[in-house]
Amino acid sequence: MKKDKVLLVIPAYNEEENIGKVLEEIKKDIQYADVLVINDCSKDRTREIVDEHHVNCINNIFNMKYAMAIQTGIKYAFEHDYDYVIQFDADGQHIAKEAEKLYKVAKSEQYDIVIGSRYLEDTGYKCPLFRRIGTKIFEILIKLFCRKRIADPTSGFQCLNKRVIKKYAQMGNYPEFPDANLIIEMLRGGYTIKEVPVKMRNRETGESMHGGIIKPIKYMITMFYTIVFIVISTPKVKGDKNE
Amino acid sequence: MNRIYFIIIALLCMIYIVNDIRKKRFSIKESFWWVMATLVILFLAIFPYSINWIAKQIGVEYPPSLLFVFCILFLIFINFKNSKRINENQMKIIELSQQLALLKEEAKKIHKK
Repeated sequence: MKKDKVLLVIPAYNEEENIGKVLEEIKKDIQYADVLVINDCSKDRTREIVDEHHVNCINNIFNMKYAMAIQTGIKYAFEHDYDYVIQFDADGQHIAKEAEKLYKVAKSEQYDIVIGSRYLEDTGYKCPLFRRIGTKIFEILIKLFCRKRIADPTSGFQCLNKRVIKKYAQMGNYPEFPDANLIIEMLRGGYTIKEVPVKMRNRETGESMHGGIIKPIKYMITMFYTIVFIVISTPKVKGDKNE
Repeated sequence: MNRIYFIIIALLCMIYIVNDIRKKRFSIKESFWWVMATLVILFLAIFPYSINWIAKQIGVEYPPSLLFVFCILFLIFINFKNSKRINENQMKIIELSQQLALLKEEAKKIHKK
């Protein structure tokens, strides 16, 4: 049987403190996958550290934010004909050993998207109350519009198969925040999604994407607004596994 | 009767925007402020006297002028946002063309070897 080509996409922005550790862990625990770091125009030594580890690295010309960096990686995977993409964070939250779980489920159970979930089982992951409430709201919205429980729609730890790689790579309007809205769009489009409980570390150093007071409010408004439009504009396609 | 005309205008605007989004000619993100504006038109069409109430609260004597102030402020806001966006895009295009020129030079060198 032909061996699958698996690509680990790691978007990194100012992660000089974490990226080295992350890459070493990956080298140790995930030998079957190729690694691609998308350096999103970091202002610190991220680029040098990645080069020291001799992994593929795409350096964005300007800062394009997390989502567009991910999409760049997915486009790379599409061009190079990869079978699976695993999205992996550079901040050290994701554990390399857990990536195999996602990949195995995606392969053996033939799901289009497999999400590594923090909240499906009690994995000891601690997070701020507000974030937990936000996640719960999105869980309810997904349940409402797609009749499926996704406990951790904001998780960036995902494994995508070839069909999804193609879809994302050719998506002209890949969202700025690819969270609950994208999950709703994919579920309604007939793609199958499965959640797998994974362990995650609490964030050690570095800055969160959703820090401060104004950013989370803006995030919530954007999210609700986007979800309304997605529900209006994407007709529901029946997926047999999701029902 | 006037009310109905404005409700129809608001609804037509809404349909136009939603249709453009459905056909992927307009992005959801960019549409936000226009949809908000349409909702305000719809609200004012249904409750035209609300503007009198707001004018009273702020202490504006002639309510219709308040409407014009809001309109102008909104247009300035959108215009400023667009100006900023154009500036950003311009810088990105310059950066990209410079990088492209460098890449072309590089490709030429490899080709010659």
